[in-house]
Amino acid sequence: MRTHPEGRTLLEPLDLLLAERRISVIGANGSGKSTLLRLINGLLLPTEGTVAVHGNDTRTMGRTVRRSVGFVFTDPLSQLVMPTGREDVELSLRTLRLSSGDRRSRAGEVLRRFGIDHLADRSSYDLSGGERQILALAVVLATEPRILVADEPTTLLDLRNDARVRSLIAGLDQQVVFTTHNLDFALESDRTLVLDAGRIVFDGPADDAVAHYRQLCSCAPLGGP
Amino acid sequence: MRGFGATLGLYEPGRGFLYRTAPAPKAVASLACAVAVIAWRSPTTTAVALLLTFGVLIVGARLSPVRVLRMLLPAAPVLGILALYQGLAQDWLRAFVVVGGITACLLAARALTLTTATQDLLDGVVRLVRPFRRLGADPERFALALSIMLRSIPYLAGLFVDVRQAARARGLERNPRVVVTPLVLGAVAYAHRTGEALAARGLGEGDLDEDPPDDRTGP
Repeated sequence: MRTHPEGRTLLEPLDLLLAERRISVIGANGSGKSTLLRLINGLLLPTEGTVAVHGNDTRTMGRTVRRSVGFVFTDPLSQLVMPTGREDVELSLRTLRLSSGDRRSRAGEVLRRFGIDHLADRSSYDLSGGERQILALAVVLATEPRILVADEPTTLLDLRNDARVRSLIAGLDQQVVFTTHNLDFALESDRTLVLDAGRIVFDGPADDAVAHYRQLCSCAPLGGP
Repeated sequence: MRGFGATLGLYEPGRGFLYRTAPAPKAVASLACAVAVIAWRSPTTTAVALLLTFGVLIVGARLSPVRVLRMLLPAAPVLGILALYQGLAQDWLRAFVVVGGITACLLAARALTLTTATQDLLDGVVRLVRPFRRLGADPERFALALSIMLRSIPYLAGLFVDVRQAARARGLERNPRVVVTPLVLGAVAYAHRTGEALAARGLGEGDLDEDPPDDRTGP
C-alpha cells in the first residue's frame, strides 16, 4: 500500500497481517509510522492496494472500521473536543444511540473504570499531560472498540505518567497497535515492526526488533532519512 | 492555552434554578429577550432586559455581579466602539438602547450556555432539527457542528492571547502580520486536528448503514 500526499511516497508496498495482541511500530521521525497507523483506522486510504480490518475494507466500509478501531493521538488535546472529560466521553457514546440518562451513567462508569471520575467536570486544559492522555484513552475506549491504535501515546509524558499509561494499555482486553520512541515500551509488545523511510525493514519479536533498530540508528548519518 | 470557557460560552457546573431548568425554556427566554429588545426599542425595554438578565444570572446561576460583568469583557471593545459611534452620531440615549440591548442578548445567551451541559444542548438541537430530517438534514451532525463551533470560540481566544504574547516577547507586537498570520494558521490547524479527531472517533458520519466509498489519500 502506498499513499502520496503531493506526490511523495509515504509507505512503500507492503503486505501485513496484524494478529498479535500487542504490536509496536518503531522507527525514526518521518519513517511512516503514523501513516501506517492512520491506514488501519481508515483515516488515510492507500493509493494502491487495500487495508481490511476484520474483513471490512477501509475504503468501502470506513465508518464501520472506525467504529471498531479506536485511535489515540500523541497530543490528547487534539482529540478532546468537549469542555469537560465527562462531556467528551458522552460525545463518544452518542454513536451508540443511547438515551441521555444511559449515556450519562455509562460515562460515569467509564471514568470510574479509568480512575479519573474525580476529573469528570474539569476542563481538559486544566488537566496534567498524564491525566489528559488517560482521559483520551477513556474517551476512545468508551465505545469498546475491538482494536486500539495509539500514535506515540507516551511521547509527551513524564516518567510517572508514561508508566501509568503503559500499565493501563497493558491491561486492556483489546488488540493494541502502537507507535513509540520508547524502546522499553516497544519491548512490552508481542511483535515489533521497524520502519525506515517508508519500508518495513524488520518484523519480528520485540527484542530482536529493538536490537535491529539500535543498529540502524547507529549506522545512519546525522540528518539522513 | 488559557481557559476562556467562563467568559466565552462554555458550560460550567454550578447550582441555582437555571441549572435545574430544561434547555428549551432557557432557549425560548433567550430568544424572547432578543425579540423584545428589537421589537420594542426603547430605554425602558433595554433597562428591563438588562435588569432581568443580570438578575437571572446572579440569582439563577449564583454568580457575583463582578463575575457577570467579566463575562462581557471579550465583547467590551466592540460594545464600546458601538456606544461611542451611536452617542456621537445620534444621541446617548440611543446608544444606551442599542448597546444595552445587545448586552442583554449576550447575557441571555450566556445564561443558556453557562448553565446547560453541552450534551443537553446537543440533545435539544437534535430534537429541534429532527423534523427537517425529511429534507435531508442530519440532526446529530448539525448538533455536533454547533458544539464544535461553541468549543472553538474559547480555543481561538486563547490562541490569540498566546500569539500576541509570543509577538510581544519578540518585541513585534506593533506588527499586525506577526499576530494575524500565526492566528490564521493556528485556526486552520485546529480545524484540521478537530476534523481528524472526530473522524477517528467515527463522529458526525451518520448511520452505519450509510457507508459510501471514500477516496481519502494522504494526510
